[in-house]
Amino acid sequence: MPQERNELNVKRNQTEPSALPGLSPMSKNQVMDLAMDLGKFLLKSGAETSRVEDTMMRFCRSYGYYDLNVFCTPTVIILGDESPVGKSRVFRVRWRSTDLGLIMDVNRFSYNFRQWNMTYEEAKHWLQERLALSHPYGDPVLCVAAGIGSACFCMLLGGDLYDFTGAFLTGFLAMACLKMMNNFHPTPFWENFIAGLIIGVVTQVCHLVQPECTVENMAVGALMPFLPGLAFTTGVRDYMAGDLLSGNSRIAEAALFALSIAIGLAFAMKAWTWGGLP
Amino acid sequence: MTIHYVTAFLFAFLATVAFGILFQGPKRILWLSGIIGGLGWIVFIVLKDALSIRSFSANFLATVVVALISEIFARIWKEPVSVFEIPAIIPLVPGLGMYQGMRYILNDYANFGSEALMGAALDACSIALGIMMVSGILRALKTGRDIARQRDWERPYHRVCM
Repeated sequence: MPQERNELNVKRNQTEPSALPGLSPMSKNQVMDLAMDLGKFLLKSGAETSRVEDTMMRFCRSYGYYDLNVFCTPTVIILGDESPVGKSRVFRVRWRSTDLGLIMDVNRFSYNFRQWNMTYEEAKHWLQERLALSHPYGDPVLCVAAGIGSACFCMLLGGDLYDFTGAFLTGFLAMACLKMMNNFHPTPFWENFIAGLIIGVVTQVCHLVQPECTVENMAVGALMPFLPGLAFTTGVRDYMAGDLLSGNSRIAEAALFALSIAIGLAFAMKAWTWGGLP
Repeated sequence: MTIHYVTAFLFAFLATVAFGILFQGPKRILWLSGIIGGLGWIVFIVLKDALSIRSFSANFLATVVVALISEIFARIWKEPVSVFEIPAIIPLVPGLGMYQGMRYILNDYANFGSEALMGAALDACSIALGIMMVSGILRALKTGRDIARQRDWERPYHRVCM
């Protein structure tokens, strides 16, 4: 019976993988390699888990490998093969940073690779080239951006020109200290703790030097660049996509970061009063 | 009054652009997310100050506006939604409530402090709720289309196997 034979072949799933029309076929190892690269870039630049899984699955399936499966949490990517002779790959992500530009470009790749129709070497080369262009803004730009963000947020809460200047100084100094500390590879908790500490000290000093500066406005403005808005948003979007595991861990991450900043700031303010300073 | 809103928009715009730079966003989308952030903040202060709506609902509605505009921009410019949404949400994050709550608790006013912290947590929840609603509804629409497309993809495979 022809129909039965068809079903059998579909179930085994490993007879002859067929790429989509317009795509040159690739071996399974090459497809896994490229899919793993895409996943790594996305997860390391702070994309949602569902986006990582979706991109990798699309890539594998459009080359006809329906037996490849992806499991992804914020700390690990597993690309597994369902067939008994298959290999699987694991990538452990320890350090994540944020790079919206890389997310956008990988997204563009995953929408357009069918039209571009690259070979394995070309695609690998494209990805490597894009990786070299990641993190376009250097540390000085980031410090100034943190300062401006703090200052503008302080103005939104109703500060005046003194608060603007103080908040700019505070945000700038806190981010600069973080960037200087980067070589020691502190854990995220200590990073945020020290940011909170510096914010507390600098705002109090500003208030001491120029009493017109309000501590509250400056501190809230300068806290803003360090609050985990990204982790929070991606966590909620992960929940909505049904990835409960990664949603939980991202929300927990956000709560931990917020808590560590608060602890740092509270420590600075309490220590200031212990010293008998106003 | 108008001047007040214009300056508020300007500062929210600048703050959002600065946060976009902090998140390493490319230059061509910075101003778009800045506009979204400014609009979200304007909606928030109009609701909160002019119409004196509670902070929870104001946050929720402002977040819905931000998420909807980001979804529309994402469809127009063919970029991921989160690229626009993540910097634009930032001005709404309740930093002031968190700071005040912590300050009260440090100064031994635990009841004021817990009230302020609870308000901040509720605001954060309302932001989460806004993102959830918009992205959930739009994802449901998109998933239906995706399933149809996946069936299209599977067709050539079956054909070859026969």
